[in-house]
Amino acid sequence: MACVVPVRPFQWATFVCSKTASGFFHRIASVWKENETKTLLENEIAELKNKIIELQDTNYRLQDKLISVSEFKKEQKKPKAKIIPADIIGYDTSIFRRSITINIGTKHGVKNNNIVVTDNALVGLIAAAGRRTSLVQLITDPASRIPGRILQTRDQVIVEGNASPFCQLKYVPRWAELKKGDNVITSNIGSFYLSSFPVGTVVESEIKGGALFQNVKVLPAVNITKIENVLVIKE
Amino acid sequence: MRWITFFCILFCISLFQSTLMNWINIGIAVPDFYFPLVVFYSFFIDVKRNVITSWFTGISKDFFSEGVLGINSIFFVAVGFFIWSIRGMLFRGHLLTKILVTFVFSIVYNIFYALHTAITYRSLNISSTIWMIFICSLYTAAVAPFLFFIFDKLQPTRNLYFMEK
Repeated sequence: MACVVPVRPFQWATFVCSKTASGFFHRIASVWKENETKTLLENEIAELKNKIIELQDTNYRLQDKLISVSEFKKEQKKPKAKIIPADIIGYDTSIFRRSITINIGTKHGVKNNNIVVTDNALVGLIAAAGRRTSLVQLITDPASRIPGRILQTRDQVIVEGNASPFCQLKYVPRWAELKKGDNVITSNIGSFYLSSFPVGTVVESEIKGGALFQNVKVLPAVNITKIENVLVIKE
Repeated sequence: MRWITFFCILFCISLFQSTLMNWINIGIAVPDFYFPLVVFYSFFIDVKRNVITSWFTGISKDFFSEGVLGINSIFFVAVGFFIWSIRGMLFRGHLLTKILVTFVFSIVYNIFYALHTAITYRSLNISSTIWMIFICSLYTAAVAPFLFFIFDKLQPTRNLYFMEK
């Protein structure tokens, strides 16, 4: 045994070196592994964060729908009317027409000429009801004509679309005293539309020369580019 | 000519135009992605195929619009045919030609469509309509180079490699 004594320091040195090296490589490996785990966890966190955002968005949309349905029910003009919430899935491709496509149709009970509202204001009416989707003619469409009334002066008017973001009022008598900010609501003349739905506000009125009627510009109460869902009133 | 590529492009344009327009419109200025497709085919293919592609482009626009079915097909076929008939006089490879032809003929097409709408519904305001035609055509012409670049890359006017002689 005494013969191996001189080798001991070398043995010790080798052992220490190998242990240190092993520790070093082990540490590198563990750091590598930790990094991998960290990356995986970071990815998972990012994924979960995205999921949270997605769920928040869904939650927000559902809340929005629920609020608009409950608000509408609170202020319901026709108690027997049934409300169907719908999402907007498409817009008109022509620059001179204003319509939207919604994701409900005859399968859900929608019929032609049903009224479409959002935030208790008029959006338009169903122009063509398909089985699963329907085309809604907006109040700004050139083909749209709505019987309306000026809330403050009680004048009977026709609200007409002209493919711009504004509507125009037809047959407003020359002597009608309209002011900027006057409200235009639907009238039930012809019993086609429910009465008292806000349509928009007067932004400009002009009397030209000897014309019998005034030119009145109306800003719709609903900004179509910002809404995501609507309510269809089914009678 | 690759019909499959044409229909794929038309499908993508229809989807984009009918769903994402609110993302890229600037006020009332809305680009018409169908129109550069009509100009592209009028520039690069024969009259028979040009009429067919213009008709398909128009009818697909009609499907996603509330207007009279077929009205866009008629206008697109007419405009496409006219561009095809004058294309010999144009330097079609130049970017400026593409932009100018798209702009000018977009104005012509929109004027005809506005006339049709005004006669049918009697509700368009002249000053706002003229302004709308101008800025929408300008916007369409502005996006035309980008669309022409994509169409060039997809090469829908050429045959597939195994069908070429």
